[in-house]
Amino acid sequence: MKKILSVLLTLAMLLSLVSVSAVAEGEKELLTIDVYDDAANYNGIQSGWFAKLIKDKFNIELNIIASQVVGNTIYATRSEEGNLGDILVVDKAKFPEIVEAGLAKDISDKLPACENIMKFKTQIDVYNKGLTGEDGKYYGIPTEMTDTSPTSITDDVIYSSPMLRWDLYKQIGSPKLETLDDLLAALEKIHEVHPTNEEGDPAYPFSLWPDWDGNDNMIGPANVVQLTTWYGQKLKGSAMLMPDMTFSPLYERENAYYKITKFLNQANQKGLVDPDSGTQNWDNACAKMSSGRVDVMWYSWQVGFWNSVDRLNAGTAFRFIPVNDMKFYADADRYFGSDRMFGIGAGVEGEKYDRIMEFLDWYASPEGATFEHDGIEGLNYVVENGKFKPYKDNALMDNLPVPDEFGGGGFSDGNNAINQWIVSAICVNPNTGERYAQKYWQSYKDMTMTEMKKEWTEVFGAEDDVSWMKANDKLLASPSVDFTPAADNNDIIALRAEINSKLCEYTWNLIMTCSTDEEFETMWDAMVAELDGLGYKDLYEYDCGVWQPEVDAKKAAAGM
Amino acid sequence: MSKKRRSYMEFLYILPLLILVGAISYYPLYGWIYAFHDYMPPKPISAETFVGLKWFEYIVSNPVRLADVGRVLVNTFAMSGISLAFSWFPMIFAVFLNEIRCKPYRKFVQTVTTLPNFISWVLVFSVAFNVLSSTGAVNSVLVGLGWIDKPIAFLSSKDNVWFRMWLWLTWKNAGWAAIMYLAAISAIDEQMIEAAKVDGATRMQIIWRITIPCLLPTYFVIVMLNLANFLSNGMEQYYVFMNNFNKKSIEVLDLYVYNIATTGRGNYPLSTAISMLKSIVSVVLLFITNGVSKLVRGEGFV
Repeated sequence: MKKILSVLLTLAMLLSLVSVSAVAEGEKELLTIDVYDDAANYNGIQSGWFAKLIKDKFNIELNIIASQVVGNTIYATRSEEGNLGDILVVDKAKFPEIVEAGLAKDISDKLPACENIMKFKTQIDVYNKGLTGEDGKYYGIPTEMTDTSPTSITDDVIYSSPMLRWDLYKQIGSPKLETLDDLLAALEKIHEVHPTNEEGDPAYPFSLWPDWDGNDNMIGPANVVQLTTWYGQKLKGSAMLMPDMTFSPLYERENAYYKITKFLNQANQKGLVDPDSGTQNWDNACAKMSSGRVDVMWYSWQVGFWNSVDRLNAGTAFRFIPVNDMKFYADADRYFGSDRMFGIGAGVEGEKYDRIMEFLDWYASPEGATFEHDGIEGLNYVVENGKFKPYKDNALMDNLPVPDEFGGGGFSDGNNAINQWIVSAICVNPNTGERYAQKYWQSYKDMTMTEMKKEWTEVFGAEDDVSWMKANDKLLASPSVDFTPAADNNDIIALRAEINSKLCEYTWNLIMTCSTDEEFETMWDAMVAELDGLGYKDLYEYDCGVWQPEVDAKKAAAGM
Repeated sequence: MSKKRRSYMEFLYILPLLILVGAISYYPLYGWIYAFHDYMPPKPISAETFVGLKWFEYIVSNPVRLADVGRVLVNTFAMSGISLAFSWFPMIFAVFLNEIRCKPYRKFVQTVTTLPNFISWVLVFSVAFNVLSSTGAVNSVLVGLGWIDKPIAFLSSKDNVWFRMWLWLTWKNAGWAAIMYLAAISAIDEQMIEAAKVDGATRMQIIWRITIPCLLPTYFVIVMLNLANFLSNGMEQYYVFMNNFNKKSIEVLDLYVYNIATTGRGNYPLSTAISMLKSIVSVVLLFITNGVSKLVRGEGFV
């Protein structure tokens, strides 16, 4: 029976293919586009609903070459061959050398005609002028540009802030927190009232993970480095950018890196840090977050592993709890785009070139951006009075089946595998007058006005995190500027790798193994001595030089 | 004429082998050229990128870095040394396995000890993590029984790293390594053993006087093969077990090269230079072994 069915299905598919190609006869033939993609988490031919969408529209298919999946060496091999791909989605830092090596195409002739992309002309001009020094010469298109301004903050939460479970915080009497010591005391109480999750597995305030160490252009354990932004300090490579926009060596005792390391060590001395912190990976830590075995979160996206609509309604979700002596560093809207670039491969010519540009322009159009950010009408959202309303908002999370007319399959499986956008999700959709991202829709806000949200507003006297920070002068907004750090040469690469590995090793030992303050101080001194011996100062000087132009541009943009 | 022709023919016989050796063992040495260049993708190497011995100087120019390389070499020698020193273990294991009279039980033990060899190190580590982490089986039992108040951090302990790594290696390999000895044991002449029995030898005496002496040639061949891999003790095991607490004693040469070549954008020239260092040390070791062999047996093998 199954066999007959499948034969019938195949026949039906073939027939429909014939009919489609009959319609498309005389038009364009199927074109396969190689997309070299540093952002993709999927390697191979795009499948599912997004594949059907672009096949019906442009008769193209995308062959995604994902460096994150097949390994970074694909970059070296493909560039040795002289052809990275037809469409390039690459880390911004690599783009200048790609242009220099002749692997990216000069697209000055076609780009000005792409009216959807050219809505971001200001940003594209600034980037390409910085790259080539000439006006009107185009190689790259920045990604995720916004239509706001370089200094505005559209989000109502910032990237990193201390977040606690609202029910636990209430249970210990909603204490006012002035300093990290108060936070530590509060966490101690929380650990007492919440020693295990519902299944009886041990819960800890902190559960850290070491496998992100040294990521994102910052040396040191990612968990520690991220928390320094609570005190307005942002690590640039190896140099700490202070709130007054000057640089300072990472390991100075006055800096937040010391403060946070010490804080985590004291937490560990009190038994508030998961003993597996130094040995588990992100997957282990993430599993603990979603099973309620972690009491503190600090990334804005991290709450996605716990805060569901049900938990928001029940008041057991995570929420920002202000600590008064903190001053939060936050990046303003990425007006000039994120850390990747779109480009066209040098070998693309003729009709293929036209069709790729046509596709990219659609990719940046309101229609394209709606599919990229909001999904499919009737599945992810419905339209009411010209505005979007969330429909099945778990489509991505639970890989819901897509209706056959859109290509079938799971929604997540068939989602856009390029995984990088030209238009940011906070841009306004001209068709609805609201931003693309669901959380800004009025309909969504109405749906999520929970008791917990009202209570929070009552206690802290502000509508949301960012308004509280703005009202209490706790926000250091860092303007968006167009800046690409110079690529490290081999000497710096080696030095950075060594310093990073030493720093991580020492920091984890400082946090997890020091049982007294004296031991901590001694080990800290040993760390400073060893880092200096390896040449930390050289790396620091180098990084200051690299990032100073960005700091100058930020100062200019902020009017400092 | 015919003799000359014959030697041509004979040369043709070994030609495929020579081509293979050239392609597999010698052609990759061409990659050493990267150690003398300032190579960075996407730019190919050229005359301009030639930097001579810069990366070798880089290793020795900084005392802290030199100490690091030294520490890594000590780790490599220590861990290879321990497994060399205990290389008799699989032999003894095979001997005792052979003495088990109950056949189903013997087969069972052999299967159970051989299986771990087919599990990858990544899986071995996930087993280790589930058993030994703070909420793993061992800690749960110990805490449950009230023997300890706080879970013991087995995996992040920095004590006896070399020995513990040897234990894992043995757990994984002993059964597999014993197969060779079991084969050698079955080749021992039954008549010798029967004659010994007639003469009233005990089981221990048979093992000591007959089985082990008959196994020694096999043992020496295997030791020789292991010696050749002295520096290439692999990195998978150490890579999966490494964390920031045991790193000082677990980082071996291959792992160190891997860490340098892949952290951040990766420095290919420097890691090539360090792996050349490995070849040099290997050649030195080879000559030492050869010298020892000459002293002991009166003949070398190079």
